[in-house]
Amino acid sequence: MLCEKCGKNNATTHIRSVVNGVVTEKNLCGYCAAKEGYNDFSHNSLTQMLASMFGDVLASGSDTATRRCPCCNATFSDIAESGRVGCPECYKTFYDELLPYLKRVHGSTKHAGKIPNKAPLTVKPKIESADSLRLKLNELVREEKFEEAAVIRDKIKKLEKGNNK
Amino acid sequence: MSCWYNDKAVEDDIAVSTRIRLARNIAGVPFPSRMTDEQKTAVNEQVKKAIIESNTPYAKSLKFLLMKDIPENERYSMIERHIISPEFVKKSENGAIILSDDESISIMIGEEDHIRIQVILAGLQLEKAYDMAENLDTLICDSLNIAFDSQLGFLTECPTNLGTGLRASVMLHLPITERAGEMSGLAESVNKIGFVFRGMYGEGSKAVASLYQLSNQITLGISEKNAIDNLKIITMQLTQKERKLRESINKLKVQDMCMRAVGTLKYARIISSEEMMKLLSEVKLGMALGVLDTDINPIKLLIEGQPYMLMRQFGIMSPDERDIYRANLVRNSFS
Repeated sequence: MLCEKCGKNNATTHIRSVVNGVVTEKNLCGYCAAKEGYNDFSHNSLTQMLASMFGDVLASGSDTATRRCPCCNATFSDIAESGRVGCPECYKTFYDELLPYLKRVHGSTKHAGKIPNKAPLTVKPKIESADSLRLKLNELVREEKFEEAAVIRDKIKKLEKGNNK
Repeated sequence: MSCWYNDKAVEDDIAVSTRIRLARNIAGVPFPSRMTDEQKTAVNEQVKKAIIESNTPYAKSLKFLLMKDIPENERYSMIERHIISPEFVKKSENGAIILSDDESISIMIGEEDHIRIQVILAGLQLEKAYDMAENLDTLICDSLNIAFDSQLGFLTECPTNLGTGLRASVMLHLPITERAGEMSGLAESVNKIGFVFRGMYGEGSKAVASLYQLSNQITLGISEKNAIDNLKIITMQLTQKERKLRESINKLKVQDMCMRAVGTLKYARIISSEEMMKLLSEVKLGMALGVLDTDINPIKLLIEGQPYMLMRQFGIMSPDERDIYRANLVRNSFS
């Protein structure tokens, strides 16, 4: 079957939509489908999944539905419908609502990666994980800064010992 | 100046390219889909200042471009050579990009997140690509107020990128694994351990030319190093599996297939991009198996034969004309 838009390439994208009971079908090639905005199916299903997960929260009847993010003015239903968060501040505003979902997506809710230098100093030592130290160690070895590397190596040993206790 | 697809690199018989992406956002500013034009312009300027005007060795090889100053066809060709994402072209009217001379570094400003640092290299070079991205990230984190939370890590528009904001991907050429019908089973098993297969052009695209992009999905609760190490281990396993399967196939049959592919590529006068990609994939396999002796670079040709890449080189033309120019391009590379 040829693409019904350009009539040239094979139709590889088949879209069937039902709006108010009226069924329309489109058969497009990859390029025409992309031009019409039909190239993002995996994303659609992901946002749909997000929306359905958030749906429970909205139905629970708390004040969640009416609260707004002070920074970007987004409501939780804005986030739930789009599957996108409004601004960085939203994570604080809707922290409790988002957390169970994050746990389901990532299996964890605790960051274990890079910490920017400008992050508040108080949190920094807490999450200095063996992994982040190992990254630093590799860097130092590569730069042939062996004395500093030895200090980091001992830190890792100490950390790992602590974990095994 | 040489792009990733011009380079030879380790493991590139199967691992064609490596890509690292870091997602970052500026604290107190709405994410791009909720931003005003003024906010977008301000973010463009902030990132430009942080990188281009920094006194680092990088700055010299990087240039800042407003997306609206880049012609539409050039933008599409940038997707085809994996410099920017299709999503960025769709909604980047007020966005900007910072590009290195060899295009290995591309920083998209105003994509899904305020800042998306991308490094793309030939072959399997995860550590090097990550180091390059990480250096740029440090530059950005040191001079801008990047949204970060000690619990949730780097804050991103889509909660699926929270934490490290890292997506590490390797593009793999797996023709024999694919022919053995093992791709869907493999896709399921990598999924279980937090990885995903995508087509050549990322999210939502299907696999062409037996090229599959393998990337991490989990970004929260795992360090960058662990995510990259895991990706490398799975890549090596898939590579070994493909090599093993290649050993067991009938060499003469493969050689026959490759030679026929060369025949068509060498003599065709009209060729679609689908057919070109399929045949070049076969040529790549033949070269890796040593049953085909040619010095062409099939991946380079595959990228240069894409519709907008062709028009970039030969001017605006209709799809029919492209098929003719594509055939010429391919034929000339073989002579």
